[in-house]
Amino acid sequence: MRAVCWHDKLDLRVESVPEPRILNPRDAIVRVSATAICGSDLHLYGGFVPGMVKGDILGHEFMGEVVDLGPGVKNLSIGERVVVPFPIACGNCFFCRKAMFSLCENSNPNAAMAEKLWGYSPCGIYGYSHLLGGYAGGQAEYVRVPFADVGPLKVPAALSDEQVLFLSDILPTGYMAAENCSIQPGDTVAVWGCGPVGLFAIASAQLLGAERVIAIDRFPERLRLAATKLGADTIDYTEDNVTEALKELTGGRGPDACIDAVGMEAHAHHSLAYAYDRMKQAMLLESDRPAALREAIMTCRSGGTISVAGVYGGMIDKFPAGALMNRSLTIRTGQTHVQRYMRLLLARIEEGDIDPSFIITHRMKLEQAPAAYRMFRDKQDDCIKVVLTP
Amino acid sequence: MPRKQNLMRADRLGYVVGGIALIVWALRRPTLLRTGVGGLGGWLLYQAYTGSNPMFRPLGIRVNPQPADPDVAETIVLDEAITISRPRSDVYAFWRRPEHLPTITEGDVEVTRDVEGEQIAWRAMRGARMLHFGALEFRDAPGGRGTIVAARLEYQPAGGSLGDALARISGRSPQRLLVDHLRRGRAILEAGEAPTTSGQPTGRR
Repeated sequence: MRAVCWHDKLDLRVESVPEPRILNPRDAIVRVSATAICGSDLHLYGGFVPGMVKGDILGHEFMGEVVDLGPGVKNLSIGERVVVPFPIACGNCFFCRKAMFSLCENSNPNAAMAEKLWGYSPCGIYGYSHLLGGYAGGQAEYVRVPFADVGPLKVPAALSDEQVLFLSDILPTGYMAAENCSIQPGDTVAVWGCGPVGLFAIASAQLLGAERVIAIDRFPERLRLAATKLGADTIDYTEDNVTEALKELTGGRGPDACIDAVGMEAHAHHSLAYAYDRMKQAMLLESDRPAALREAIMTCRSGGTISVAGVYGGMIDKFPAGALMNRSLTIRTGQTHVQRYMRLLLARIEEGDIDPSFIITHRMKLEQAPAAYRMFRDKQDDCIKVVLTP
Repeated sequence: MPRKQNLMRADRLGYVVGGIALIVWALRRPTLLRTGVGGLGGWLLYQAYTGSNPMFRPLGIRVNPQPADPDVAETIVLDEAITISRPRSDVYAFWRRPEHLPTITEGDVEVTRDVEGEQIAWRAMRGARMLHFGALEFRDAPGGRGTIVAARLEYQPAGGSLGDALARISGRSPQRLLVDHLRRGRAILEAGEAPTTSGQPTGRR
């Protein structure tokens, strides 16, 4: 079969590899009908995530048809159409029973590697480095799905692939980011980053009752989508000072909750701190660039919440712990517990409350993946979201 | 409080010999460089005296100078614990099977103590030579959270503390084997299977 393989930083190749097979009783094999490139895949593409090995198959947003089942999977049948959540979770452990699926203790065969970096290991994730299990991902014609009796969600034939594909990651991720804000009536939520996750966080904050949502980015096409499609207020940080603008928009008090939908490769405009981060990251003295997180903490209203949906991998510098402590701020974060949100969000899609396909800007063939990654990274052609079909 | 030891007797002897050699070399013709090297020798002597190398401390190496087993002079001790969301009787029954014991070496395993639902102890021998000995203790986790398995293993590493330190850094140490074993046991007990990727496709050639 054909699969998108990581060879090195900025070196992806679509190659012929063997087809996956059942390795454990609770496995399924899915023939991929649609897969997407995630913003977090760009961290792998750029070489910012440790534990990648030449030949690794990428992709953690995918869906398709069940073509083979292990003897332990009783709730799926061959031929069924499913969306697969990106966290691999057993459903039985301490964390899965608490619906914290992305912390599953039984799905990362390389847990010792993750423990070295992070203290304890989270769950395994498809195509997201050997730190998170080294599982072959779904940017391929076929993919092996472990614990298939827990993760995959059957989807009704009436909904198209494009309407349900994002249940695999970014729609629940945006939703959890908003849910983590504990939105109260009258609240203003500011969202750093208007990529797919940021856009879904805006939409979710509105669904969860935010009075007002303010979107922060620099790409006009993204800000336009946030304003026209979702009715958010927008700040272009290359034109305005974000802190000042947010103060002004919130009566001097700051947003009640701030969502960081940017993560470890943040960009900042004409900022000394940004130059410092770029330099330290290039010298391997700092793995992540936390410009958005710093700004969110400094701008959030006292006693408010910072919800981090953007991916971080390692260490950051100049973290404003003083602001956090003295102003009673709360940080909530985590890899998304996708399995917790899929059914709820599928119902929202079926009821017409949200149609996630509005973010798709490019539809390409799997064979074009390397070009698609490059275009997405460089934000060429107003690229917001790429869907690949084998 | 005495510092926890992480050097074995052979290591300490080596440190004494090395330390003295460095100091003698420094004293024969004192220069700035040689004085520094002599200081290093003094530091080795100090480590030999305390039985503790601070650089090994982050690796968790711990020496037991008086092991419970009379056949062994001293050992490196591993203490690892894991919590499993299953009743104590099930967890005990799983590890009671000889093939499930977390033996970190080849050799003949002999169960030396077996208290149902509470404890299993064993020794691994090759002929008359002791390879390692260990015990698993089972107790209820608080709040109905299942069972805590506490493992204690003692062994004599090839190459002393330094050898063990290198093994730990390379990721192929008895400590890693023990932890992986406990984790695998938990996966089988809780999820019915252990996670794996071996046999999956890749673009490596």
